[in-house]
Amino acid sequence: MAGLELLSDQGYRLDGRKATELRKVQARMGVFAQADGSAYIEQGNTKALAVVYGPHEVRGSRSRTLNDRAVINCQYSMATFSTSERKRRPHGDRKSTEMSLHLKQTFEAAVLTNLYPRSQIDIYVKILQSDGGNYSAGVNAATLAVIDAGIPLRDYVCACTAGFVDETPLTDLCHAEESGGGTSLAMALLPRGGHIALLQMDARLHQDHLETLMEAAMTACKSISKVLDQVVRQHLQEVSALTGE
Amino acid sequence: MIKTEKVLHLKSSRGRKVRVVREHYLRERVPCYSSLCQAECANEGKVLSGDVTHYVVPDAGVARDFMEVLEFREIQGVVFTQTACQAVQHTRGRRQYNRLRSLLKDPRHDCVLFANEFQEYSFCPREKGEPQDKWQTRCVYQAAVWYHDHLAGLKPIVMITEDQAAVVEYGSLNRGVYILSTQEYLRTFWPGLQAAQELYCSIAQALQERGSEGTEREYTEHLPAEVLEAGIKSGRYVQGTLNVNKHRSQHEAFVRFESSSNKSTELNSDVLVCGGKNRNRAVHGDMVAVELLPKGEWRGRTMALTEGQGEEKGEETQSQVMPTGRVVGILQRNWRDYVVTFPPREETQSQSRNSQRILVTPWDQRIPKIRISTQQADILQDHRVIVRLDSWESTSLYPNGHSVRVLGRAGELETEVQTILIENGVHVAPFSEAQLREMPVSSSERPWTLDPEQVVTRRDLRDTHLVFSIDPLGCEDVDDTLSIRKLPPGPRGPRLELGVHIADVTHFVKEGSLTDLEARTRATTYYLADRRYDMLPAVLSADLCSLLGGVDRYAMSVMWDLDAQTLAVNKVWYGRTLIRSSYQLHYELAQALLDGDEADVPELVKLPPGKRDVQLAQLIEALETLTHVARHLRAQRDSGGALELEGVEVRAQLDQDKNITALVPRQPLEVHETVAECMIYANHWVARKIQESFPQQALLRHHPPPRQEFFTQLQDSARARGFTIDTRSNKALAESLDRAVDPQDPLVNRLLRVMATQAMSNALYFSTGACPVDQYYHYGLALDRYTHFTSPIRRYADMIVHRMLTAAIAMEKGAGPAKASASSKELEELAQHINNKNRAAQHAQKLSTELFQCLYFRDKDPQSDERCVANAVIYSTRANGMLVFIPQYGLKGAVYLKNREGEVVSVMQDGRCEWKAGSLLRSLDHISTTTASGTSTFNLFQHITVQISVQPSRCHSDTLHLEVVSSKPHRTPEPQGQTTPPQGTRGRSRLVQEVVRQAEEASQQAEEKRGRASRISREEREFRQSKVPNLYCLLEEVRELALLDITGCGVGLGSAAQPCSASA
Repeated sequence: MAGLELLSDQGYRLDGRKATELRKVQARMGVFAQADGSAYIEQGNTKALAVVYGPHEVRGSRSRTLNDRAVINCQYSMATFSTSERKRRPHGDRKSTEMSLHLKQTFEAAVLTNLYPRSQIDIYVKILQSDGGNYSAGVNAATLAVIDAGIPLRDYVCACTAGFVDETPLTDLCHAEESGGGTSLAMALLPRGGHIALLQMDARLHQDHLETLMEAAMTACKSISKVLDQVVRQHLQEVSALTGE
Repeated sequence: MIKTEKVLHLKSSRGRKVRVVREHYLRERVPCYSSLCQAECANEGKVLSGDVTHYVVPDAGVARDFMEVLEFREIQGVVFTQTACQAVQHTRGRRQYNRLRSLLKDPRHDCVLFANEFQEYSFCPREKGEPQDKWQTRCVYQAAVWYHDHLAGLKPIVMITEDQAAVVEYGSLNRGVYILSTQEYLRTFWPGLQAAQELYCSIAQALQERGSEGTEREYTEHLPAEVLEAGIKSGRYVQGTLNVNKHRSQHEAFVRFESSSNKSTELNSDVLVCGGKNRNRAVHGDMVAVELLPKGEWRGRTMALTEGQGEEKGEETQSQVMPTGRVVGILQRNWRDYVVTFPPREETQSQSRNSQRILVTPWDQRIPKIRISTQQADILQDHRVIVRLDSWESTSLYPNGHSVRVLGRAGELETEVQTILIENGVHVAPFSEAQLREMPVSSSERPWTLDPEQVVTRRDLRDTHLVFSIDPLGCEDVDDTLSIRKLPPGPRGPRLELGVHIADVTHFVKEGSLTDLEARTRATTYYLADRRYDMLPAVLSADLCSLLGGVDRYAMSVMWDLDAQTLAVNKVWYGRTLIRSSYQLHYELAQALLDGDEADVPELVKLPPGKRDVQLAQLIEALETLTHVARHLRAQRDSGGALELEGVEVRAQLDQDKNITALVPRQPLEVHETVAECMIYANHWVARKIQESFPQQALLRHHPPPRQEFFTQLQDSARARGFTIDTRSNKALAESLDRAVDPQDPLVNRLLRVMATQAMSNALYFSTGACPVDQYYHYGLALDRYTHFTSPIRRYADMIVHRMLTAAIAMEKGAGPAKASASSKELEELAQHINNKNRAAQHAQKLSTELFQCLYFRDKDPQSDERCVANAVIYSTRANGMLVFIPQYGLKGAVYLKNREGEVVSVMQDGRCEWKAGSLLRSLDHISTTTASGTSTFNLFQHITVQISVQPSRCHSDTLHLEVVSSKPHRTPEPQGQTTPPQGTRGRSRLVQEVVRQAEEASQQAEEKRGRASRISREEREFRQSKVPNLYCLLEEVRELALLDITGCGVGLGSAAQPCSASA
């Protein structure tokens, strides 16, 4: 196949979206009762599950304890059935380790860790089905899970990817767009203040285009935050209805 | 926001079956791009017109196989569905798909793309087990139905398909949506479009034949794309473009590399591909991957001249071995339309016993014979036809193709000219009505007038400046005018103001308009030997844009404030102006005025004598100042190393009865150079301006320095006469060329200059963002920045530059950073396009000249006619012959000293030549033949007599054949005497020059040059728009004599004075 046409002349992408349209986002909070917080999110065909434990005492070696704030421990993994060919190593490979680190950095910037000195917060993210934008789905799910756990956050952390094709920024890339060459930029944003929690890009892009690309990613993150906010509110309504308050 | 649905796809990659899930989003509102839309779709850009009888929706199969039919501009209201487009993309590859895309983008074609698969109601998911083509047909039908409903049934929709089952199945389901087969559709709706029906039949036939092919393998299979890619990366294969040797198309082809990053350093030359098996179905121009053969099998290239298409046998003289390889795969086909000739009847019958398949011979010798199937072979014999290639299977010795359009009978003038155009990719349809509608009206009833708004915004030079133009006699597209006047003295002494005023074409042609698009595709006006194809409609090029005398015109001006003494530039002003040219002079008249001869200026004849003298004195003074300035500018450039180059041109002089009396070189007048120099100056300053304003995206023109190894032939030839040529820099080259003069034979210098020109590459347009600054240099003109600004009527590049200059001026006026009209990448692509078109135009012009040369000699009997015998000069030797130049006709050609029977030319006592058995010996500066009667030698630059005859060719163009008649000059070389201009006419200007010479030492050199024989600088040729007496007159006469049917030529008298020389 001679190179997919990522953006047609009429402005449609492979799956029928326009350049700045996001995939359909669906999410639920409180999917598991055992954990302190949990959430499930679908961004198009990318499905992620996030579970939060804590804050609790620091487990394992005591030396990691921080006296002024909580330690955030993240683990990212992908289910063996998440890709079109069965994945041999669901976690612990280089990519997952890197992703765990990214998640940790993101949430250290967002969680008010100084409220919980000498404690630990565990965030586990599992990708159940992968179709591009794994990092952003993971972040968004974890945000919901952290909220579900009742841990105070500075703001929602919303993540989204953006790519650049034919001088046009595309937002929320699917797998075909990510692997089709070209740039992919992942951004985690605290939308209210416009603070960037994490920005990552590992392909070449001309300096002139960076601004437009970031602009597009930010707009996308803000749209995601609206969706997440809605999910949280709906969840609260349901929960309060159940408890009869 | 969007409704979402998901579909499953199954696809295999790397051989394994992988299940891939893709999302598929559907939406309610998908623009329909029809002007009849009732639902207020967001239709942007191209919209289908409402005034057609129906809309036609081709299904996937039709779009895939019969797209060429749909390319006819007459077929309007075509709705391509996304399904059909994807089918084209997946099955026919990128090239075909890009063609479809450009078709959809082209505003001249009435067709749009409807994204049916993203529309909620027109999309239908593929059912389990449904074959792909059935599903596609269903999708397209669904889309057609939706389209019909969407337009509220205002237009009937016709869906065309090749699938007869579909016609039956869907035919009567819906009112207003009709299903027809393509053939039926063409027959019912376009009965007048015979060409489309013929094309349809020819493609259908080609498709049918493809299935029934033998299984015997003629060629090795090409390797799959992944293997090739990996091989190229690892350095195992070499990637490059295949170039077939024109004279040995069967055997020799070379592969030129694309990338310089070759891992193997030994490969710095081209790779030779020998023979058809090694070439493995690659056609000239294809991008191929080559595998090198082991060194033991490397061969050299053949050095001998070949006669016609004859197969040479026996021992061949070969150069040293060069890398040799074989084609293992084709990365990108580069097939275009080819002109072919049908064989005469006898051949047809022998070839087509089983079906109507015939082999046709392409006009281009580098292309192999093509097999096509047609039922019209009998009618079309000896006709020239346009053919497209379809495929070349490994089981077939020849490629398969189908015919597209019939040009006409071979040998007829119109056919031959069309052939030349098509072979060079020149498409010049008459301007369409829509384009002409964009033009301002100017007729005798409603004359065009100035727009008062423009009068306010433009600088008005009508009363303040004496503006005049100098052009060839009878020129009607006046691009450029000049003005010069004295300014009040400044602080540093007296000042002059030199102005160059160029027709403001971009005022009339807005960017993106239909006329602009058409001009962009043409890129230049095409000048053939007997006709001209304008870039812009005549109302602009000959009237509104043309800066005619005595009328108000818009112009784009550059004005320099110069110091009168040193001619240093104080200030430059660029801007739009309003001018009225006072005098429309021609070169001869201007020169006469300068020389002080009696001359009547037509504009002054009617004035009373007193007034006339005053005005005449004014004009002459302006001309003299201008000449003075131009000399200075020339001297400046000369000190930088500007070159005088030489091309070959034919000029004929006619008497009253239009008979050719002699062939004389045009008198090189100083005023030619004056005008050219001002234009070069304007171009240079505009280049500086736009480059400063848009450092990343300015369109400039550079002339890369030639590669030193190309000068070897020049140096060797010069050495034969005892001259040394220093080619280290352009200045050194110019000086050593000036020294290399043989007082007895002025042709020597001329030929050396021709050779120097040949060694150089062409000047090219480029975008400043795509090239490092040190490559901006113009080698020939010795300028660091150069562009084309002065001929917007006949060159598209000048129009781009005009727009850039306008933007730069706007930016300066504080409009903020003006929006760059195009990104550097787009501009670079555009520059490449213009370069290609210019090359095509030059080539077409050259071919048409050759065509007319052949016509000229065709009905002259070489044995008896005096005109077929001419004097020639040897300028290069080859293994079995030599290359000669015939100054009388400006012809170059090969003369053989050895024929196929192995006989060589032997010279008798009195100089006559005869064919005798013998041998041939070649060295660097002479070639000698040894026979029983003695040895005879031909030296470089020796004058010999040759006989010119025409070698007719049925499939290709006719060629001129030269045969040596005598080793002595034909007669006292009369043409040479004429190459030195008579001294008398130059006497006066010499005197004037003496004065200038003291002021500028450097200009002395230039003056000396000016006195010498007819060398015309390339730039001068460029700006001179026509020359009389000229080639055109000669050929016009030839045509009248030789051809009866010229009614179709459509060359008006107006164009008679217009043929231009090729732009450099």
